[in-house]
Amino acid sequence: MRFESMTEAIGNTPLVRIDPAVHGLHNIDLYAKMELLNPFGSLKDRAAWNMVRPLLTQAVESGDTVVELSSGNTAKALAVIAGMHGLTFKSVTNRMKVAEIKDLLLLLGAEIDELPGQAECLDPTDTDDPLTRMYHRLAGSSGGYLHTDQYFNELNVDAHLNGTGPEILKDLDGRVPDYFIACVGTAGSSTGVAAVLRQHNPDVRVVGLVAHKSDFIPGIRTIDEVHEVGLFDPDVYDTVETITADDAIDGLLTLVRRCGTLAGPTGGGAYQGAVRHLRGVDAQLTERRTAVFIVCDRVESYMSYLRERRPELFGRPPRRNSVRTVTDADVRQAATVDVAEAERWIAERRGLVVDLRSPFAYQALHIDGSINIVDELFAELLHGGLPFGRRQPVLLVCPVGEKSARYAALLTRMGHPDVRSLDGGIIAWRDAGAELVRD
Amino acid sequence: MPLHLAPQIDPTLRSALDETVLLTQLADAMGSPLGVVLPQQLAENVTAFRSVFSDHRLSGQIYYAHKANRSSALVRELAATDAGIDVASLAELQHAVGAGFVPQRIMATGPKNEEFLWLCARTGVTVSADSIGELAALATLVRDWSLPRVRVMARLSGFTSTGVQFNSRRSRFGVSAAAVGEVLDVIEKHVEALDLVGVAFHLDTIGLPEKAVALEGCLGALDECRRRGLRPWSVDIGGGFGVNYLADGAQWEQYTSALTEAVLGRRAPLTWNGHGYGLRAEGGHVRGSLNLYPAHRPVSGPAYLDRLLGTAAPEQRRPLGTLLLDNMYDLLVEPGRALLDQCGLVLASVLEVRDEANGDTIVRLDCNARDVSLEEHGVLMDPVVVHRTTPAAPGPAAVYLFGNLCLEADLITRRRVFLPSRPRPGDLLAFVNTAGYLMDFSATHALRQPIGRKVALYRDDGGWRWCLDEQYWPVHHRAEAP
Ligand SMILES: Cc1ncc(COP(=O)(O)O)c(C=O)c1O
Ligand SMILES: Cc1ncc(COP(=O)(O)O)c(C=O)c1O
Repeated sequence: MRFESMTEAIGNTPLVRIDPAVHGLHNIDLYAKMELLNPFGSLKDRAAWNMVRPLLTQAVESGDTVVELSSGNTAKALAVIAGMHGLTFKSVTNRMKVAEIKDLLLLLGAEIDELPGQAECLDPTDTDDPLTRMYHRLAGSSGGYLHTDQYFNELNVDAHLNGTGPEILKDLDGRVPDYFIACVGTAGSSTGVAAVLRQHNPDVRVVGLVAHKSDFIPGIRTIDEVHEVGLFDPDVYDTVETITADDAIDGLLTLVRRCGTLAGPTGGGAYQGAVRHLRGVDAQLTERRTAVFIVCDRVESYMSYLRERRPELFGRPPRRNSVRTVTDADVRQAATVDVAEAERWIAERRGLVVDLRSPFAYQALHIDGSINIVDELFAELLHGGLPFGRRQPVLLVCPVGEKSARYAALLTRMGHPDVRSLDGGIIAWRDAGAELVRD
Repeated sequence: MPLHLAPQIDPTLRSALDETVLLTQLADAMGSPLGVVLPQQLAENVTAFRSVFSDHRLSGQIYYAHKANRSSALVRELAATDAGIDVASLAELQHAVGAGFVPQRIMATGPKNEEFLWLCARTGVTVSADSIGELAALATLVRDWSLPRVRVMARLSGFTSTGVQFNSRRSRFGVSAAAVGEVLDVIEKHVEALDLVGVAFHLDTIGLPEKAVALEGCLGALDECRRRGLRPWSVDIGGGFGVNYLADGAQWEQYTSALTEAVLGRRAPLTWNGHGYGLRAEGGHVRGSLNLYPAHRPVSGPAYLDRLLGTAAPEQRRPLGTLLLDNMYDLLVEPGRALLDQCGLVLASVLEVRDEANGDTIVRLDCNARDVSLEEHGVLMDPVVVHRTTPAAPGPAAVYLFGNLCLEADLITRRRVFLPSRPRPGDLLAFVNTAGYLMDFSATHALRQPIGRKVALYRDDGGWRWCLDEQYWPVHHRAEAP
């Protein structure tokens, strides 16, 4: 395979059979359309490229900014494509909830505009949805934008009508699968693929999956939000079912751990939703059937999402010298000094004063002669052992004297014989009128 | 299937509601509508906020945003706690002083006229200044009248973030954070008149990220103060902590889903004239956004403050609460709605219950949409029926609630309400948890109708007692058991 440009690598993704030992269906062959293997990482590469391509020459000529309301994969693909053609990309969003995706977009050079949160006091003049607000903004500007408008753009559907759908048919030797299951974001992929499959066999059953109402699954809509989507037509689907974030993660774990497929949450959700739907059918079947679902993107961008919802998956062995292992009894044993005594101790230059507050706060005001090691860093250092000698006397300072007492206790336990904590912390120091400096 | 939106009712409010004989007697004697406030609950809410402060080891003050309710009983009971009060008008300031607040516990916010500024300066309350002009006017007053130096806060707005741009709705109030230098110039110029004690913001949003940007922006502004040798020690993060109005999140979800379907014409309308609460159908799709208070808000009030303090500052990446503490700053908050959670209810008499030919049932109430302004504030929450005897019919009743004004628009709520049981004329509807903004914020004398009276209900000697709101003082414990 030899290409002139990465965009040529979009599409022609494999259709891979899921091992029946994993899904447990007896009479159904379940295939995954591996859209995660697209060059920029997702199914949305197809739509992004298909929507931008016809307008590219014009946009490059006038130096337009590409804009889209997107919180993830479309933004990612558009950012890459814009960059390849010397254009800027701006993503407008009110749902950018996954930190890695944000960082990746910034890395790709995208600008991100977060729309304001809901007003606490009702403002009756504020009746617009994000999309309408974005249209207003574009209409108010004097041009200079290429708006791909994925929620309403038929080219989004066409990308799958001409690409994803026919590819599935070809890989099944022209046979239409009996079931097609896909998550719905803009509805572009499910609508396009369903149209192709229906042309060849009107009996195909199409299952649309959306997130359960109170759940957030990045990339797809909830059961209510889906009605805001311009491309969404309920008649495309024989049934629209909901999946929870838990379903999505369970499915994701099956795909990544047992199927060699590094799928993101919606891939997992599609798998889980497919198996759930098909399990009911499977028992009544007497002949073999085929089902296809879509794996939209990759797992790597969702680590924080997974960590937040399933911290136990990331359980690491406990580290040594952790301040969390200090007991209240240990803390009561730790040596403390009050402000007057501390002032004398410092004036006589008896040892090292370590201020555990943030660098910003330290730089604003601190005790003269102290050094700053913010608590997180100090904790990190202590995992490796004592960061100063045992003969080096130390006075620890924090805001109210609690953290410093815990660290004093920990240092004592680690064998340091001469460490103390400022009682009442720097707030007591300030309140006593003791000197604070700023360099 | 009835679509209930049952209110969250905590034990104290529940126990007051159970006093049906007392409530009907009060409504008979005082007329409808009748505001009922529960001052002692306010003191409990202060304690709940305080415990978030102590969990984060923060000192500072809780200023009750008086604008949320005109009641005297609430303000007087609050004066008996250690909380402060946020006054936004001359009359509110007079009220607070008369209720027992010393100036050190009062913060004046909002746009101010000269008389208000003068009384602030004369009494020595802290002035949270909205603009540079206000600071200059205050300095002039202090000089012309030879008044003592006034403690001032500078309210900032228009905070910017790096990387991701968090857009906030434009605010009418505050000085742009980028112009903090100009504020400090004015302060330094009038150093004998103005004593800068901190910086402030109030953002009308439920979004934590925007507040995190603003709070970190305040830390930056305070650093600029320190660079110039000024020593303000406070950050005031305003109000907007919110209330959870509904008992059951599933009901809220069912209701809003059903509303979407109704707007799309997939089910019978749930509202008068098919009103969509901000949603509309265009070509088979829903447009607009749900213009309603998020009535089911599991993280609200003190829990929301806790969440905010635990949120990492976008730039310094350390929890905001830790950064405040690191910098030795006091945290000031101005909750209105959240401090009045569970602090009162509005009673309205049922005048008529009528079945229309088209199948609708109308309940006409002796109050109007200004007396219990659920609709204006976008709060969807069912009233509780207080029956004098028995329900008029078994099972839930789907009704529209009409007000007593001769206005087509005078619906207490445009929503068809599923009451748990059908009321009879003379029964009461209790709109619970309405003390914050929903009781008297908008009440008017339209049609020369009186504004509803208000009573304070309080527990004393093991039972519920009551008095007129203006008669209430915290020293009612006459019958304390020996
Ligand atoms: C992760 C993920 N899964 C699924 C989808 C759904 O695809 P479509 O927009 O074609 O409905 C999207 C679309 O944004 C997505 O980002
Ligand atoms: C400056 C200021 N502080 C506090 C509040 C109280 O807000 P809430 O009642 O939402 O807590 C308001 C409300 O408008 C305000 O403008």
